[in-house]
Amino acid sequence: MVGKREEEDMAIIVSGRGMALVILVLSYILFYIFMYLGRKGREIPVRTLPPMAAIPEGIGRAAEMGRPVMFTPGIAGDLNDPTQGPQVLAAISILGYIARECARTGVKLDVFMPIPTALPLTEETLRTAYMAEGKPEEFSPDMIHFIAGQSPYLTAVLGYFQRERPATNFLIGGFYYESVVMGEGGNTIGAFQIGGTANTHQMPFLVATCDYVLLAEELYAAGASISKDPDILGCLRGEDIMKFILIALMIIGFILGFARNPALINVLRW
Amino acid sequence: MAEVLRREVVYLITAIVTILMFIEFFFIGTWNVAEELRTWATIIANISIALGAVRLLAEHAKNVQRRRAGVWPFSIWLWIIFLVTLLSGLAGYVIKQDAMTNPLYNWLFTWPYTSLGQTLYAITGFYIFSAAYRAFRARNIDAALLLIAGCFVILTNAPIGGVIWSGIPVIGRWFLDYGQVPGMRCFLIVAAFGMLAYGFRALLGRERGFYGEVAGE
Repeated sequence: MVGKREEEDMAIIVSGRGMALVILVLSYILFYIFMYLGRKGREIPVRTLPPMAAIPEGIGRAAEMGRPVMFTPGIAGDLNDPTQGPQVLAAISILGYIARECARTGVKLDVFMPIPTALPLTEETLRTAYMAEGKPEEFSPDMIHFIAGQSPYLTAVLGYFQRERPATNFLIGGFYYESVVMGEGGNTIGAFQIGGTANTHQMPFLVATCDYVLLAEELYAAGASISKDPDILGCLRGEDIMKFILIALMIIGFILGFARNPALINVLRW
Repeated sequence: MAEVLRREVVYLITAIVTILMFIEFFFIGTWNVAEELRTWATIIANISIALGAVRLLAEHAKNVQRRRAGVWPFSIWLWIIFLVTLLSGLAGYVIKQDAMTNPLYNWLFTWPYTSLGQTLYAITGFYIFSAAYRAFRARNIDAALLLIAGCFVILTNAPIGGVIWSGIPVIGRWFLDYGQVPGMRCFLIVAAFGMLAYGFRALLGRERGFYGEVAGE
């Protein structure tokens, strides 16, 4: 009979992470299956995200008013931060779309990037976007303003609001307290604002100060709304199924909890 | 061709690093490789800070060169402060191998920088009030419910709430501990799945939005 100590010595999975691995693998299998089906032509309906539909409207407003558009991804974390990094990457994905719209309509775009590791990626994204629209000469690295440190960054953005009075602000990414200050600062100059974050503690501020907001997974799925890309749509369908599985687990856990049965808890702690 | 190749190399590196990080997180005995990669990431991040500083100085040098109205005197000020901070930190490092030993460097950080930062942070309170005013206008049933819950939470946190009626803190605490927690956790779980899917697409090289490509076009 194998003792507990020997069992631990033979283990290859870190204790307590087994079920997380199962959920991860299951999610990836589902994502892959639906991505494959999407590429094969299976229709995956997805609702249009109002904030993404409002991006051309915001840029059109800036074109009519002859004022610039401002984009910033917040300063909550670096690219190698496990929770904030993906938000910044998703924000840069959306920036690519915004930059193409700005290039198409000839609107000046100002990007406030406080994250040094994301600077080269931002520059590359803007350059590619302007090239894709056939206007590489309109791209300039001066469009990207690097400000290190939360307070200096915030002060610089507020000063920019007062001097340049942008018609539209995009506050999309990982935010800390700068979200409410910039959101309100933008409101005082009458800017049209689109926000987005997956940081739960900042969502209420963006909801209160912005005209449209991308909340939680919408930030990562924004691309699907624009392009109906089968890869993103497939992932969305996979996410939906995983959510149903989690809801089922919650209901089972709720019932077992009433019966004082720890079976599910033990399985989840594996 | 070179551009395409360069991108593919980026996606390949992303995939390899992601797989290594997954293995390290879930499986025993793979710590060293992932730890080494994290050290590299820290080094690269620090190099990028230097690149950011160079970009910042270049931008402000252009402001001065072009005499940009209303901005260029501040750009000179930024250059001065940057040089003073850099040189005082380096002087401390050269003399005692520790930048923090230089009193000028310490003074710049402790008094002007920290005080100004704290001041700005304190101003946030006023912005929150003004944002709350906007959010709390009872335009529809949802906003009215938000207004009621918000009033209870504000009065719970303000000492006067308990004086007005002892039930206010109880109700406010309920909103804080039970009313909002399920909603926030729901957002957390949903955001986590969004992040998983995003990571999966990045792993397969199918998330290319951050290269200026609109997916599917």
